Amino acid sequence: MKLNVERKLTQSQKMMVFVLSMALFGLSKMITEILPSNEIGPIEFSVSYFAFIPLILCVLFHPLYAALGASVGKIIFADLLMGDFSGIGELEGFIQLTVGMYVAGLIVKNPLNKVQLTIAALVGVGMDQILSSVVDITKVWIGIEGFDAVPGLPESIVLLEAVSFVNEMVITGVLFGVIPTLILVPRLYGKIEPLLGMKPREKRVNASMAEFVKPGLITIVIVLGFVSMIAEFMAELDLNFAFWTSDFLLQFENGYEWIGISAGLIVLGLVLYIVKKIFSNKQQVEETIESNKRVL
Amino acid sequence: MISINSVSFRYPGSENWVLKEASVDIEQGEFTAIIGGNGAGKSTLCKTLNGLIPSYYVGDFEGTVMVDGLNAATTSVAVLSEKVAYVYQDFENQLVRPTVLDEAIFSPLNFGYPDYMERGREALRILGLSHLEKEHIWQLSGGQKHLVALAGALSLQPEILIIDEPVAQLDPAHATELYDKLKMLNEEYNKTIIVIEHHTEFIANYCSSVIMMEQGSVLWKKPVKYGLSLVEELMDKNIHPPQVTQAMFQLKREQKPKLFPITVQEAKAEIQGKYEILPGPHLFSSQVSQVKGVETISMDGVDYGYKTITRKRKPIINELSLTCYEGEKIALVGSNGAGKSTLLKMISGLVKPQGGSMLVNGQSTSKLSMEQLAEKVAYIYQNPEEMFIEDSIYKDIDYFLKARKIADRREFIEEIIQRFHLEELRERDGRLLSGGQQRRASLAIGIAMKPSIVLLDEPTASLDIATRKDMMKMLNNLNGFVKTAIVATHDMELVAEWASRVIVLKGGIILDDTTPHTLFSNPALLREASLVAPQIVTLSKEVNMYPAAITTEEFLSRVKQVGVGGGSVECVSKAL
Amino acid sequence: MLNVFQKLFSKLSVENIKIELMRTAYGTEETVLSRLDPRMLIVWSLFFTTVPWFIHNMTILIGLAVLMGVLAYMARVSPLLIVLLIIGVISQFTYLIFVALFLGGTFTALLAVIPLTIKIMIISLSSMAVFTSMDPEKFSDALLSFGVPGKFSFGVSYGYRMLPILIEEYQSIIQSFRLRGKMPAKKGILYWRYIVYFLKISVLAFYPMMLNTAKRTRTTVEALEIRGFSYSEENDLAKKLKLKALKMNKYDYQFVAITSVITICIINIGMFYPL
Repeated sequence: MKLNVERKLTQSQKMMVFVLSMALFGLSKMITEILPSNEIGPIEFSVSYFAFIPLILCVLFHPLYAALGASVGKIIFADLLMGDFSGIGELEGFIQLTVGMYVAGLIVKNPLNKVQLTIAALVGVGMDQILSSVVDITKVWIGIEGFDAVPGLPESIVLLEAVSFVNEMVITGVLFGVIPTLILVPRLYGKIEPLLGMKPREKRVNASMAEFVKPGLITIVIVLGFVSMIAEFMAELDLNFAFWTSDFLLQFENGYEWIGISAGLIVLGLVLYIVKKIFSNKQQVEETIESNKRVL
Repeated sequence: MISINSVSFRYPGSENWVLKEASVDIEQGEFTAIIGGNGAGKSTLCKTLNGLIPSYYVGDFEGTVMVDGLNAATTSVAVLSEKVAYVYQDFENQLVRPTVLDEAIFSPLNFGYPDYMERGREALRILGLSHLEKEHIWQLSGGQKHLVALAGALSLQPEILIIDEPVAQLDPAHATELYDKLKMLNEEYNKTIIVIEHHTEFIANYCSSVIMMEQGSVLWKKPVKYGLSLVEELMDKNIHPPQVTQAMFQLKREQKPKLFPITVQEAKAEIQGKYEILPGPHLFSSQVSQVKGVETISMDGVDYGYKTITRKRKPIINELSLTCYEGEKIALVGSNGAGKSTLLKMISGLVKPQGGSMLVNGQSTSKLSMEQLAEKVAYIYQNPEEMFIEDSIYKDIDYFLKARKIADRREFIEEIIQRFHLEELRERDGRLLSGGQQRRASLAIGIAMKPSIVLLDEPTASLDIATRKDMMKMLNNLNGFVKTAIVATHDMELVAEWASRVIVLKGGIILDDTTPHTLFSNPALLREASLVAPQIVTLSKEVNMYPAAITTEEFLSRVKQVGVGGGSVECVSKAL
Repeated sequence: MLNVFQKLFSKLSVENIKIELMRTAYGTEETVLSRLDPRMLIVWSLFFTTVPWFIHNMTILIGLAVLMGVLAYMARVSPLLIVLLIIGVISQFTYLIFVALFLGGTFTALLAVIPLTIKIMIISLSSMAVFTSMDPEKFSDALLSFGVPGKFSFGVSYGYRMLPILIEEYQSIIQSFRLRGKMPAKKGILYWRYIVYFLKISVLAFYPMMLNTAKRTRTTVEALEIRGFSYSEENDLAKKLKLKALKMNKYDYQFVAITSVITICIINIGMFYPL
């Protein structure tokens, strides 16, 4: 429980980390929206986000609040205030980024260890990007009737997503992830924490794998992962529902659409429920941590 | 009302006690000022009153704080917040809602008052903000924002109001307005008001008592006249008594009275009939035009404006023409929004003129990039924190030179560090320094660019008097490669003591181009530009001294006790 | 000599952008849709952002796309933006079609992608119609009523309030870098040296930015404490007071009724005349 103890925060400190991360990442996201982008073929020379900001904050502070703050900041500043809010589509981005950055924050045991920082940055951005590729592929899959039957389509989408993944990993992951993180974390470590009235994390060089594997934290990863799985693949499940029931409903002409629609409503309900859960999850996590501490 | 009894506090893990056995009582309806140097524990003491210490900032806490019969240490912040309201020095960060009305109803809404709307509106009405109800907070001026923060605090109808450095970021006209409101709250609504304040002239005019703190303890609490008359003690602790008090202290050095006048009217009563006013130099003699040096900056019909969110163009600078010469020390004055900062930014190339021509050292700024112009012009920001881009002062000073790959710069940097007394701060991050140190460092960063023109935006704002003096000394020593210095400021004492030329701006045009003496002897001009002359100028006018003295030294040199031979002017000015 | 790129960048970096951003963020005008109950609008838009995925009938899809286009226009989304959006959505899939053509050797991918394009168009247009004109405060109130914790809705109004301050501060820091920095002497192929110079600054500027914002945050959170924000999170009083203002009125029912009728018509037409 060392990580929980060392990064234990009071209610107000959690709020500070959340607000800080929200403001900074929100601002940076807005800036990247403005930056001009150039495309050469399918390769895009643009910065999708300044990954180093949530990475640094997740490394230095409690990763959950920093990650949540960053995701909320992105939605509020870059989407809502800029009139670019895409309704339910925001949810996928929210989950991807939160999970990616949270896990990145967990990986780092010693904020001054360059190897750990590098791995964390790559894993963080990587998770976000993989999840987003999965979502994109799923979208095309669901959105196109008889997706498999179109010659060349499944291969092309996978190929394009792979190209974009590599593209993103190089620009967002390395140029705007690993490199700035390596430069800025040592500069900020020990300096930014007192400004929020906190003690810096201890540097501990040795970290055993066992420390990663903490029931409370694992639970969070699984819960968030599960939530994201549901959100991303629910639609697919519903498609199966539709297939399953289509025989049964053949008697109704064009019943197919209606089932799809009702399935959509179910997804909607679930999604709302999940959004609620994610937020209240914070409290649960705290409780888990607390109870774990008591057990030990 | 408030009873603080031998209270000590330290943050967890810290050795130093921020508060050390502080004890003081404050009665209902008092208007009290807390004074003391940096780190005296003024803000910390105030935060024990609303329970932020020790409920929110946990730490070692001893002693008792009673607020209106409640023990503050064991009462929740929520309950205390309804009795004690707090307005921060950096009030911008206290405003969390988008519009004025939202901000005013925020607290009562959070505490679940069904009449939250009326409470918010009432607070706005008391402070005369009702007409701004629907405005976005970011569009308000600094003074208005401060009042909105106050309204937000008032809406809970607290008994006690604490305001941390209310005038630090306001121009003189707005500062007076704010204090008038506080006075009204104190007199008409019987609120207990506590201010943390450096400006003793406001304390003298508005407060009833004054509390002196040092190193976490309360040294004394006295009625304001007694407190401010302790001239030597105050000066010793780097707190400067009002100008008139200082002047009278010097005049009456020998008599050693217990009390000195603290306001202009009191001083006038003391002087009239007892002192003779000597004639000063004729106004125009100080304005004798010297042989002008080489032109450094020349503006001809310069225009600048920006688009507002309704896409209308809002003009800031209107067809302004101005020429500056080598060797000039220019002060730009005018109320907020007169265009002072914009003018400085234009000279530095941060913004380009939209019309007219702007030449710096003979080159048009429109044809130079910011980076190129920076080799001649150094712009020192109003907020020093925005100038610290590296993680140590040394690196910050080095940044410009390093980017230009200047060889052997080490020695030069060391020289700068010594000149600005930054030896002990060289490895520190600028942001973590005190206000005065930050100013010093930001000036050093600018001077290290070896500029021929230095532009300073509010160099003395929110500085305590000691660091202010320090800053003035450094401004006076800007010789060598610096040919022209321009300062935009609200600080009229700085104008009086430093400037050789004053440009009065209003609404983006030049109202007058003059000298400090002429400016301060022209009440109509001062009024039009919403400026407030230094207290000593007002006193000079009250005692019929023409032309008015603009510094305390000058004033002292021109009064003579009736029937006494030549004054001891020299030793007097040395003492100051 | 100043070049085009620098001109572009200076235009991009200073006042103009700030004002454009502010305009988008604060310039919410009264429109047909902005007067409606935000809760209803959110549910409404959620419906239209999920349902199209499960429709494979081209007539219905085109009908819905037209409906959304009209609504977006009524919400005063500029026609230019709508056109740009459509082009954007189409271009999103050009590579896909191209690669599929290369790998699969037929044009079927092109045909297959058309419905997908329309679906995405419906979704984007409906969000645009609803959210561009919605006051962020109303949006956060609606979320609050859906049970999303107060932190999120606080975040919305805090963002709304702090945006200009943060932008200005970031701008000053960037200028601070530029006032003491040195532009690369050569611009390089495709201005790459300049691009690197500016990108480097825009990243490094976050070092001061992070520390300054941390200072800011501390005061803000402290002020929130004394102004009862955490108190309001613990009990429902404030929330109830706040949400009292949200009411469904005549217009809301009319809006739902009209759009439902049109949607049903479209679906019916689609069933009889599928494309």
